[in-house]
Amino acid sequence: MKQYTYFPGCAMGSTGKPIQASIDAVCEVLDIELIELEGWTCCGCPGESINELAATAIATRNLAIAEKFKLDMVTACSCCYRNLLAAHVTYTEDPRIREQVKKALAATNLEYNGTLRVRNLVDIFINDIGLDVIASKVQRKLTGMKVANYYGCHQTRPYGPDDHEFPVWQDQVSEALGAETVFFPLKAQCCGGTQLFSNKEMIYKLLYKILDNVEKHGGECISSTLCPLCFTNLDANQGRINNRDGDKFEMPVLALTQLMGIAFGLSPKEVGLNKNISPALKAVKPYLKSKVQEVVK
Amino acid sequence: METETIKEAKSFVDEVAAEPGGEKINECIQCGVCSGSCPTVEWWQYPPRKIIAMIRAGKRDMVLSSTSAFNCVTCYSCTVRCPRNINPTQLIHAVEAIAEREGYKPKTPTLTLHRGLRDAMMQGRVWELRLAMLFYLKTSLLEGMKMMRVAWDLISRGLMPLLPPKQTKKGGKEVTAILKAVEAMQKSGGAK
Repeated sequence: MKQYTYFPGCAMGSTGKPIQASIDAVCEVLDIELIELEGWTCCGCPGESINELAATAIATRNLAIAEKFKLDMVTACSCCYRNLLAAHVTYTEDPRIREQVKKALAATNLEYNGTLRVRNLVDIFINDIGLDVIASKVQRKLTGMKVANYYGCHQTRPYGPDDHEFPVWQDQVSEALGAETVFFPLKAQCCGGTQLFSNKEMIYKLLYKILDNVEKHGGECISSTLCPLCFTNLDANQGRINNRDGDKFEMPVLALTQLMGIAFGLSPKEVGLNKNISPALKAVKPYLKSKVQEVVK
Repeated sequence: METETIKEAKSFVDEVAAEPGGEKINECIQCGVCSGSCPTVEWWQYPPRKIIAMIRAGKRDMVLSSTSAFNCVTCYSCTVRCPRNINPTQLIHAVEAIAEREGYKPKTPTLTLHRGLRDAMMQGRVWELRLAMLFYLKTSLLEGMKMMRVAWDLISRGLMPLLPPKQTKKGGKEVTAILKAVEAMQKSGGAK
Protein backbone atom coordinates (compact mmCIF):
# COMPACT_ATOMS: atom_id res chain seq x y z
CA MET A 1 0.00 0.00 0.00
CA LYS A 2 1.37 3.36 -1.04
CA GLN A 3 -0.07 6.46 0.62
CA TYR A 4 -0.30 10.02 -0.64
CA THR A 5 -2.25 13.12 0.25
CA TYR A 6 -4.58 13.97 -2.61
CA PHE A 7 -5.56 17.38 -3.93
CA PRO A 8 -8.54 16.83 -6.26
CA GLY A 9 -9.11 20.43 -7.39
CA CYS A 10 -12.44 22.12 -8.09
CA ALA A 11 -13.08 20.67 -11.55
CA MET A 12 -12.84 17.06 -10.33
CA GLY A 13 -16.18 17.55 -8.58
CA SER A 14 -17.90 18.75 -11.73
CA THR A 15 -16.62 18.24 -15.28
CA GLY A 16 -13.96 15.87 -13.99
CA LYS A 17 -16.40 13.43 -12.35
CA PRO A 18 -15.78 10.63 -14.88
CA ILE A 19 -12.01 11.01 -14.37
CA GLN A 20 -12.36 11.01 -10.60
CA ALA A 21 -14.45 7.82 -10.72
CA SER A 22 -11.78 6.09 -12.79
CA ILE A 23 -8.95 7.36 -10.57
CA ASP A 24 -10.65 5.92 -7.49
CA ALA A 25 -11.23 2.57 -9.21
CA VAL A 26 -7.74 2.30 -10.71
CA CYS A 27 -5.98 3.32 -7.50
CA GLU A 28 -7.82 0.57 -5.65
CA VAL A 29 -6.55 -2.00 -8.13
CA LEU A 30 -3.01 -0.65 -7.91
CA ASP A 31 -3.09 -0.49 -4.10
CA ILE A 32 -2.65 3.28 -3.90
CA GLU A 33 -4.32 5.15 -1.06
CA LEU A 34 -5.17 8.77 -1.81
CA ILE A 35 -6.03 10.71 1.35
CA GLU A 36 -8.10 13.73 0.35
CA LEU A 37 -6.73 16.89 1.87
CA GLU A 38 -9.18 18.24 4.43
CA GLY A 39 -10.32 21.82 3.78
CA TRP A 40 -8.57 22.18 0.42
CA THR A 41 -9.59 25.14 -1.66
CA CYS A 42 -8.89 26.45 -5.15
CA CYS A 43 -5.26 25.94 -6.21
CA GLY A 44 -4.98 29.58 -7.25
CA CYS A 45 -4.59 28.86 -10.94
CA PRO A 46 -7.62 30.97 -12.02
CA GLY A 47 -6.26 34.18 -10.53
CA GLU A 48 -2.73 33.67 -11.67
CA SER A 49 -2.80 35.81 -14.81
CA ILE A 50 -3.85 39.03 -13.14
CA ASN A 51 -2.88 38.63 -9.48
CA GLU A 52 0.02 36.30 -9.02
CA LEU A 53 0.68 37.07 -5.37
CA ALA A 54 -2.90 36.20 -4.37
CA ALA A 55 -2.70 32.99 -6.40
CA THR A 56 0.60 32.00 -4.79
CA ALA A 57 -0.70 32.75 -1.30
CA ILE A 58 -3.81 30.60 -1.78
CA ALA A 59 -1.78 27.76 -3.25
CA THR A 60 0.66 27.91 -0.35
CA ARG A 61 -2.21 27.53 2.10
CA ASN A 62 -2.99 24.15 0.52
CA LEU A 63 0.69 23.22 0.61
CA ALA A 64 0.92 24.13 4.29
CA ILE A 65 -2.01 21.84 5.13
CA ALA A 66 -0.56 18.96 3.12
CA GLU A 67 2.92 19.36 4.58
CA LYS A 68 1.73 18.24 8.01
CA PHE A 69 1.02 14.72 6.73
CA LYS A 70 4.67 14.13 5.78
CA LEU A 71 3.56 12.40 2.58
CA ASP A 72 3.98 13.37 -1.07
CA MET A 73 0.99 15.32 -2.36
CA VAL A 74 -0.60 14.07 -5.57
CA THR A 75 -2.85 15.89 -7.99
CA ALA A 76 -4.34 14.61 -11.21
CA CYS A 77 -5.47 17.96 -12.62
CA SER A 78 -2.58 19.44 -14.61
CA CYS A 79 -3.48 23.04 -13.82
CA CYS A 80 -3.52 22.37 -10.08
CA TYR A 81 -0.26 20.46 -10.43
CA ARG A 82 1.48 23.32 -12.16
CA ASN A 83 0.14 26.05 -9.94
CA LEU A 84 0.83 24.25 -6.66
CA LEU A 85 4.32 23.36 -7.83
CA ALA A 86 4.86 26.94 -9.05
CA ALA A 87 3.87 28.23 -5.61
CA HIS A 88 6.31 25.80 -3.99
CA VAL A 89 9.14 26.84 -6.33
CA THR A 90 8.50 30.58 -5.95
CA TYR A 91 8.16 30.24 -2.18
CA THR A 92 11.41 28.35 -1.79
CA GLU A 93 13.44 30.31 -4.35
CA ASP A 94 12.22 33.92 -4.20
CA PRO A 95 12.81 35.52 -0.79
CA ARG A 96 10.73 38.60 -1.66
CA ILE A 97 7.59 36.60 -2.46
CA ARG A 98 8.25 34.26 0.48
CA GLU A 99 8.11 37.14 2.96
CA GLN A 100 4.88 38.47 1.44
CA VAL A 101 3.22 35.04 1.38
CA LYS A 102 4.34 34.38 4.96
CA LYS A 103 2.71 37.62 6.04
CA ALA A 104 -0.53 36.69 4.28
CA LEU A 105 -0.54 33.17 5.76
CA ALA A 106 -0.02 34.60 9.24
CA ALA A 107 -3.69 35.60 9.12
CA THR A 108 -4.55 31.89 9.42
CA ASN A 109 -1.85 30.53 11.76
CA LEU A 110 -0.54 28.36 8.96
CA GLU A 111 3.09 28.10 8.06
CA TYR A 112 4.80 26.45 5.15
CA ASN A 113 8.36 25.16 5.48
CA GLY A 114 8.92 24.20 1.86
CA THR A 115 9.43 20.46 2.43
CA LEU A 116 6.44 19.14 0.46
CA ARG A 117 6.80 17.22 -2.80
CA VAL A 118 4.02 17.98 -5.27
CA ARG A 119 3.57 15.20 -7.80
CA ASN A 120 1.42 14.24 -10.72
CA LEU A 121 -0.56 11.00 -10.70
CA VAL A 122 1.08 9.78 -13.93
CA ASP A 123 4.45 10.28 -12.24
CA ILE A 124 3.24 7.97 -9.45
CA PHE A 125 2.15 5.32 -11.95
CA ILE A 126 5.53 5.32 -13.69
CA ASN A 127 8.00 5.86 -10.87
CA ASP A 128 6.35 4.50 -7.73
CA ILE A 129 4.14 1.72 -9.06
CA GLY A 130 6.03 0.69 -12.18
CA LEU A 131 5.03 -0.46 -15.62
CA ASP A 132 5.56 -4.14 -14.77
CA VAL A 133 2.99 -3.95 -11.94
CA ILE A 134 0.53 -2.13 -14.21
CA ALA A 135 1.04 -4.79 -16.90
CA SER A 136 0.50 -7.57 -14.33
CA LYS A 137 -2.95 -6.20 -13.42
CA VAL A 138 -4.23 -6.31 -17.01
CA GLN A 139 -7.26 -8.55 -17.46
CA ARG A 140 -8.32 -7.43 -20.90
CA LYS A 141 -5.37 -6.83 -23.16
CA LEU A 142 -6.10 -3.88 -25.46
CA THR A 143 -4.38 -5.56 -28.43
CA GLY A 144 -4.80 -3.63 -31.66
CA MET A 145 -6.28 -0.50 -30.10
CA LYS A 146 -4.62 2.51 -31.73
CA VAL A 147 -4.32 5.02 -28.94
CA ALA A 148 -3.17 8.63 -29.35
CA ASN A 149 -1.96 9.94 -26.02
CA TYR A 150 -2.71 13.62 -25.48
CA TYR A 151 -0.71 15.32 -22.72
CA GLY A 152 -1.76 18.96 -22.82
CA CYS A 153 0.47 21.62 -21.32
CA HIS A 154 0.86 21.71 -17.59
CA GLN A 155 1.46 18.04 -16.95
CA THR A 156 4.94 18.54 -18.38
CA ARG A 157 5.40 22.29 -18.83
CA PRO A 158 7.22 24.06 -17.35
CA TYR A 159 8.21 21.70 -14.53
CA GLY A 160 8.25 18.23 -16.11
CA PRO A 161 9.44 15.77 -14.91
CA ASP A 162 8.43 14.14 -18.22
CA ASP A 163 9.79 15.69 -21.43
CA HIS A 164 8.44 19.16 -22.31
CA GLU A 165 8.12 18.66 -26.05
CA PHE A 166 7.57 14.95 -26.58
CA PRO A 167 6.47 13.39 -23.32
CA VAL A 168 6.28 9.57 -23.23
CA TRP A 169 4.89 8.41 -19.88
CA GLN A 170 1.26 8.04 -20.93
CA ASP A 171 2.41 6.18 -24.04
CA GLN A 172 4.38 3.79 -21.85
CA VAL A 173 1.33 3.14 -19.68
CA SER A 174 -0.93 2.44 -22.67
CA GLU A 175 1.69 0.11 -24.13
CA ALA A 176 1.77 -1.75 -20.81
CA LEU A 177 -1.99 -2.24 -21.27
CA GLY A 178 -1.32 -3.91 -24.61
CA ALA A 179 -2.48 -1.02 -26.79
CA GLU A 180 -0.65 0.28 -29.82
CA THR A 181 0.41 3.91 -29.42
CA VAL A 182 0.21 6.39 -32.25
CA PHE A 183 2.78 9.14 -32.52
CA PHE A 184 1.34 12.54 -33.40
CA PRO A 185 3.36 15.76 -33.24
CA LEU A 186 0.74 17.82 -31.37
CA LYS A 187 0.56 15.49 -28.38
CA ALA A 188 1.64 18.29 -26.03
CA GLN A 189 0.09 21.22 -27.90
CA CYS A 190 -2.30 23.46 -25.95
CA CYS A 191 -6.04 22.72 -26.34
CA GLY A 192 -6.94 26.22 -25.12
CA GLY A 193 -9.24 25.02 -22.33
CA THR A 194 -8.71 28.14 -20.26
CA GLN A 195 -10.20 30.56 -22.78
CA LEU A 196 -13.10 28.50 -24.04
CA PHE A 197 -15.65 31.05 -22.84
CA SER A 198 -14.02 34.19 -24.12
CA ASN A 199 -12.31 33.26 -27.38
CA LYS A 200 -14.25 30.43 -28.94
CA GLU A 201 -12.98 30.78 -32.53
CA MET A 202 -9.40 30.54 -31.36
CA ILE A 203 -10.06 27.53 -29.16
CA TYR A 204 -11.98 25.68 -31.87
CA LYS A 205 -9.03 26.16 -34.19
CA LEU A 206 -6.60 24.80 -31.60
CA LEU A 207 -8.91 21.82 -31.04
CA TYR A 208 -9.23 21.24 -34.77
CA LYS A 209 -5.46 21.10 -35.15
CA ILE A 210 -5.13 18.48 -32.42
CA LEU A 211 -8.03 16.28 -33.54
CA ASP A 212 -7.01 16.51 -37.20
CA ASN A 213 -3.45 15.60 -36.27
CA VAL A 214 -4.66 12.52 -34.39
CA GLU A 215 -6.81 11.40 -37.35
CA LYS A 216 -4.03 12.01 -39.85
CA HIS A 217 -1.62 9.83 -37.90
CA GLY A 218 -4.07 6.95 -37.58
CA GLY A 219 -5.27 7.39 -34.00
CA GLU A 220 -8.58 5.66 -33.33
CA CYS A 221 -9.12 7.11 -29.88
CA ILE A 222 -7.52 9.68 -27.62
CA SER A 223 -6.26 8.77 -24.19
CA SER A 224 -6.29 12.17 -22.58
CA THR A 225 -4.30 13.63 -19.75
CA LEU A 226 -6.10 13.54 -16.38
CA CYS A 227 -6.68 17.30 -16.48
CA PRO A 228 -10.48 17.92 -16.41
CA LEU A 229 -10.08 21.09 -18.50
CA CYS A 230 -8.28 19.40 -21.39
CA PHE A 231 -10.46 16.32 -21.10
CA THR A 232 -13.73 18.26 -21.20
CA ASN A 233 -12.53 20.51 -23.97
CA LEU A 234 -11.66 17.54 -26.20
CA ASP A 235 -14.64 15.47 -25.11
CA ALA A 236 -17.48 17.99 -25.14
CA ASN A 237 -16.53 20.44 -27.87
CA GLN A 238 -15.42 18.23 -30.74
CA GLY A 239 -19.05 17.83 -31.84
CA ARG A 240 -19.02 21.47 -32.88
CA ILE A 241 -15.97 21.28 -35.11
CA ASN A 242 -15.80 20.05 -38.70
CA ASN A 243 -13.04 17.75 -39.81
CA ARG A 244 -11.31 17.80 -43.21
CA ASP A 245 -14.24 16.12 -44.93
CA GLY A 246 -16.73 18.59 -43.49
CA ASP A 247 -18.22 16.11 -41.02
CA LYS A 248 -18.25 16.62 -37.28
CA PHE A 249 -15.45 14.95 -35.38
CA GLU A 250 -16.40 11.70 -33.67
CA MET A 251 -13.19 10.87 -31.91
CA PRO A 252 -13.60 8.76 -28.76
CA VAL A 253 -11.89 10.52 -25.86
CA LEU A 254 -11.01 8.62 -22.70
CA ALA A 255 -9.00 9.74 -19.72
CA LEU A 256 -5.87 7.65 -19.23
CA THR A 257 -7.25 6.12 -16.03
CA GLN A 258 -10.49 5.16 -17.81
CA LEU A 259 -8.44 3.21 -20.34
CA MET A 260 -6.49 1.60 -17.51
CA GLY A 261 -9.71 0.68 -15.71
CA ILE A 262 -11.12 -1.03 -18.79
CA ALA A 263 -7.87 -2.98 -19.23
CA PHE A 264 -7.94 -3.93 -15.55
CA GLY A 265 -11.29 -5.62 -16.10
CA LEU A 266 -13.58 -2.97 -14.61
CA SER A 267 -16.96 -2.21 -16.15
CA PRO A 268 -17.43 0.98 -18.21
CA LYS A 269 -19.72 2.35 -15.51
CA GLU A 270 -17.15 1.83 -12.77
CA VAL A 271 -14.72 4.07 -14.65
CA GLY A 272 -17.36 6.69 -15.51
CA LEU A 273 -17.39 5.96 -19.24
CA ASN A 274 -21.17 6.40 -19.35
CA LYS A 275 -20.62 10.10 -18.67
CA ASN A 276 -18.26 10.79 -21.55
CA ILE A 277 -19.86 12.92 -24.25
CA SER A 278 -17.73 11.63 -27.14
CA PRO A 279 -18.43 8.05 -28.33
CA ALA A 280 -15.90 6.58 -25.90
CA LEU A 281 -17.81 3.32 -25.41
CA LYS A 282 -17.38 2.55 -29.11
CA ALA A 283 -13.62 2.43 -28.72
CA VAL A 284 -13.62 -0.09 -25.87
CA LYS A 285 -16.59 -2.24 -26.91
CA PRO A 286 -14.60 -4.91 -28.80
CA TYR A 287 -12.54 -5.51 -25.67
CA LEU A 288 -15.42 -5.77 -23.20
CA LYS A 289 -16.37 -9.19 -24.57
CA SER A 290 -12.97 -10.71 -23.88
CA LYS A 291 -13.06 -12.89 -20.79
CA VAL A 292 -12.17 -11.31 -17.51
CA GLN A 293 -10.11 -13.67 -15.40
CA GLU A 294 -11.29 -14.11 -11.84
CA VAL A 295 -9.14 -12.15 -9.45
CA VAL A 296 -8.41 -13.91 -6.19
CA LYS A 297 -8.60 -11.26 -3.52
CA MET B 1 11.46 66.59 -24.76
CA GLU B 2 14.03 64.03 -25.63
CA THR B 3 15.08 63.49 -22.04
CA GLU B 4 11.44 63.01 -21.08
CA THR B 5 10.97 60.21 -23.57
CA ILE B 6 14.04 58.42 -22.31
CA LYS B 7 12.92 58.86 -18.74
CA GLU B 8 9.52 57.34 -19.49
CA ALA B 9 11.06 54.46 -21.42
CA LYS B 10 13.17 53.58 -18.44
CA SER B 11 10.31 53.78 -16.03
CA PHE B 12 7.99 51.42 -17.92
CA VAL B 13 10.60 48.71 -18.27
CA ASP B 14 11.39 49.12 -14.57
CA GLU B 15 7.71 48.90 -13.77
CA VAL B 16 7.46 45.56 -15.60
CA ALA B 17 10.70 44.34 -14.03
CA ALA B 18 9.27 45.03 -10.57
CA GLU B 19 6.27 42.79 -11.27
CA PRO B 20 6.51 39.06 -10.39
CA GLY B 21 7.64 37.34 -13.61
CA GLY B 22 8.90 40.50 -15.26
CA GLU B 23 12.29 40.52 -13.53
CA LYS B 24 14.39 39.26 -16.43
CA ILE B 25 13.00 41.49 -19.18
CA ASN B 26 16.37 43.14 -19.75
CA GLU B 27 18.00 39.79 -20.52
CA CYS B 28 15.88 39.23 -23.65
CA ILE B 29 17.94 38.94 -26.85
CA GLN B 30 14.93 39.35 -29.19
CA CYS B 31 15.47 35.96 -30.85
CA GLY B 32 11.72 35.46 -31.35
CA VAL B 33 11.55 31.83 -30.19
CA CYS B 34 8.62 32.84 -27.95
CA SER B 35 6.59 34.19 -30.87
CA GLY B 36 7.51 31.18 -32.98
CA SER B 37 6.42 28.74 -30.26
CA CYS B 38 3.14 30.44 -29.45
CA PRO B 39 0.12 28.35 -30.56
CA THR B 40 -2.14 31.42 -30.68
CA VAL B 41 0.30 33.92 -32.18
CA GLU B 42 -1.87 34.63 -35.22
CA TRP B 43 -4.37 36.36 -32.92
CA TRP B 44 -1.80 38.68 -31.33
CA GLN B 45 -1.54 42.15 -32.81
CA TYR B 46 1.86 42.42 -31.16
CA PRO B 47 3.47 38.98 -30.66
CA PRO B 48 5.36 38.28 -27.40
CA ARG B 49 8.80 39.25 -28.75
CA LYS B 50 7.43 42.53 -30.02
CA ILE B 51 5.71 43.26 -26.70
CA ILE B 52 9.05 42.91 -24.94
CA ALA B 53 10.66 45.26 -27.47
CA MET B 54 7.81 47.75 -27.04
CA ILE B 55 8.08 47.65 -23.25
CA ARG B 56 11.77 48.41 -23.52
CA ALA B 57 11.00 51.24 -25.94
CA GLY B 58 8.59 52.73 -23.41
CA LYS B 59 5.38 52.26 -25.41
CA ARG B 60 3.33 52.05 -22.25
CA ASP B 61 -0.10 53.03 -23.57
CA MET B 62 0.22 50.96 -26.72
CA VAL B 63 1.16 47.82 -24.78
CA LEU B 64 -1.33 48.19 -21.97
CA SER B 65 -4.34 49.05 -24.12
CA SER B 66 -3.66 46.26 -26.63
CA THR B 67 -5.58 42.99 -26.42
CA SER B 68 -2.49 41.02 -27.48
CA ALA B 69 -1.31 39.81 -24.09
CA PHE B 70 -4.80 38.50 -23.32
CA ASN B 71 -4.43 35.86 -26.05
CA CYS B 72 -1.91 34.02 -23.89
CA VAL B 73 -3.32 30.57 -23.08
CA THR B 74 -0.59 29.95 -20.47
CA CYS B 75 0.78 26.87 -22.23
CA TYR B 76 4.43 27.58 -21.33
CA SER B 77 5.70 26.52 -24.78
CA CYS B 78 7.73 29.74 -24.96
CA THR B 79 9.02 29.37 -21.41
CA VAL B 80 10.56 25.93 -21.90
CA ARG B 81 12.21 27.04 -25.14
CA CYS B 82 13.47 30.52 -24.18
CA PRO B 83 17.28 30.44 -24.47
CA ARG B 84 17.61 33.18 -21.85
CA ASN B 85 15.22 31.63 -19.32
CA ILE B 86 13.26 34.83 -19.00
CA ASN B 87 9.89 33.08 -18.61
CA PRO B 88 7.86 34.98 -21.25
CA THR B 89 4.61 33.44 -19.94
CA GLN B 90 4.95 35.14 -16.55
CA LEU B 91 6.15 38.30 -18.27
CA ILE B 92 2.98 38.45 -20.36
CA HIS B 93 0.96 37.83 -17.20
CA ALA B 94 2.77 40.76 -15.62
CA VAL B 95 1.58 42.95 -18.52
CA GLU B 96 -1.98 41.67 -18.04
CA ALA B 97 -1.77 42.37 -14.31
CA ILE B 98 -0.58 45.96 -14.82
CA ALA B 99 -3.26 46.62 -17.47
CA GLU B 100 -5.96 45.30 -15.15
CA ARG B 101 -4.72 47.18 -12.12
CA GLU B 102 -4.22 50.47 -13.93
CA GLY B 103 -7.73 50.43 -15.35
CA TYR B 104 -6.78 50.03 -19.01
CA LYS B 105 -9.71 48.43 -20.77
CA PRO B 106 -8.47 46.41 -23.74
CA LYS B 107 -11.52 45.35 -25.74
CA THR B 108 -11.47 41.63 -25.07
CA PRO B 109 -13.88 39.42 -23.15
CA THR B 110 -10.83 37.59 -21.79
CA LEU B 111 -10.24 40.41 -19.31
CA THR B 112 -13.77 39.87 -17.97
CA LEU B 113 -13.04 36.13 -17.85
CA HIS B 114 -9.81 36.66 -15.90
CA ARG B 115 -11.61 38.90 -13.42
CA GLY B 116 -14.38 36.32 -13.09
CA LEU B 117 -11.86 33.56 -12.51
CA ARG B 118 -10.07 35.59 -9.88
CA ASP B 119 -13.35 36.26 -8.09
CA ALA B 120 -14.27 32.56 -8.34
CA MET B 121 -10.95 31.69 -6.72
CA MET B 122 -11.85 33.98 -3.85
CA GLN B 123 -14.94 31.90 -3.07
CA GLY B 124 -12.73 29.03 -1.96
CA ARG B 125 -13.86 26.42 -4.46
CA VAL B 126 -14.86 27.33 -7.99
CA TRP B 127 -18.53 26.92 -8.95
CA GLU B 128 -18.36 26.66 -12.72
CA LEU B 129 -22.00 27.33 -13.51
CA ARG B 130 -21.90 30.63 -11.62
CA LEU B 131 -18.65 31.56 -13.32
CA ALA B 132 -20.10 30.87 -16.77
CA MET B 133 -23.41 32.64 -16.12
CA LEU B 134 -21.74 35.76 -14.71
CA PHE B 135 -19.32 35.84 -17.62
CA TYR B 136 -22.05 35.69 -20.28
CA LEU B 137 -24.20 38.21 -18.41
CA LYS B 138 -21.32 40.66 -18.44
CA THR B 139 -20.23 40.04 -22.03
CA SER B 140 -22.78 38.65 -24.47
CA LEU B 141 -25.99 36.76 -23.79
CA LEU B 142 -26.07 35.68 -27.43
CA GLU B 143 -22.72 33.93 -27.05
CA GLY B 144 -24.10 32.34 -23.90
CA MET B 145 -27.09 30.99 -25.82
CA LYS B 146 -24.73 29.47 -28.38
CA MET B 147 -23.09 27.49 -25.58
CA MET B 148 -26.40 26.03 -24.43
CA ARG B 149 -25.85 22.70 -26.15
CA VAL B 150 -22.50 22.09 -24.51
CA ALA B 151 -23.98 23.25 -21.22
CA TRP B 152 -26.88 20.82 -21.60
CA ASP B 153 -24.54 17.95 -22.48
CA LEU B 154 -22.69 18.64 -19.25
CA ILE B 155 -25.67 19.42 -17.01
CA SER B 156 -27.67 16.37 -18.11
CA ARG B 157 -24.74 14.13 -17.17
CA GLY B 158 -24.32 15.80 -13.80
CA LEU B 159 -21.00 17.28 -14.89
CA MET B 160 -21.96 20.88 -14.19
CA PRO B 161 -23.60 20.96 -10.76
CA LEU B 162 -26.45 23.41 -10.31
CA LEU B 163 -25.55 23.93 -6.66
CA PRO B 164 -22.34 25.46 -5.28
CA PRO B 165 -19.60 22.97 -4.32
CA LYS B 166 -19.51 21.75 -0.75
CA GLN B 167 -16.63 23.04 1.28
CA THR B 168 -15.61 23.42 4.88
CA LYS B 169 -16.39 26.76 6.48
CA LYS B 170 -12.86 26.96 7.81
CA GLY B 171 -11.40 26.72 4.29
CA GLY B 172 -13.54 29.55 2.96
CA LYS B 173 -12.77 31.76 5.95
CA GLU B 174 -9.03 31.17 5.70
CA VAL B 175 -9.01 32.02 1.99
CA THR B 176 -10.86 35.28 2.69
CA ALA B 177 -8.40 36.17 5.45
CA ILE B 178 -5.39 35.45 3.20
CA LEU B 179 -6.81 37.48 0.33
CA LYS B 180 -7.55 40.41 2.62
CA ALA B 181 -3.97 40.37 3.84
CA VAL B 182 -2.69 40.24 0.24
CA GLU B 183 -4.95 43.11 -0.77
CA ALA B 184 -3.78 45.22 2.15
CA MET B 185 -0.16 44.62 1.17
CA GLN B 186 -0.82 45.47 -2.48
CA LYS B 187 -2.77 48.61 -1.63
CA SER B 188 -0.03 49.91 0.64
CA GLY B 189 2.27 49.55 -2.34
CA GLY B 190 4.65 47.16 -0.62
CA ALA B 191 3.78 44.15 -2.75
CA LYS B 192 2.88 43.41 -6.34
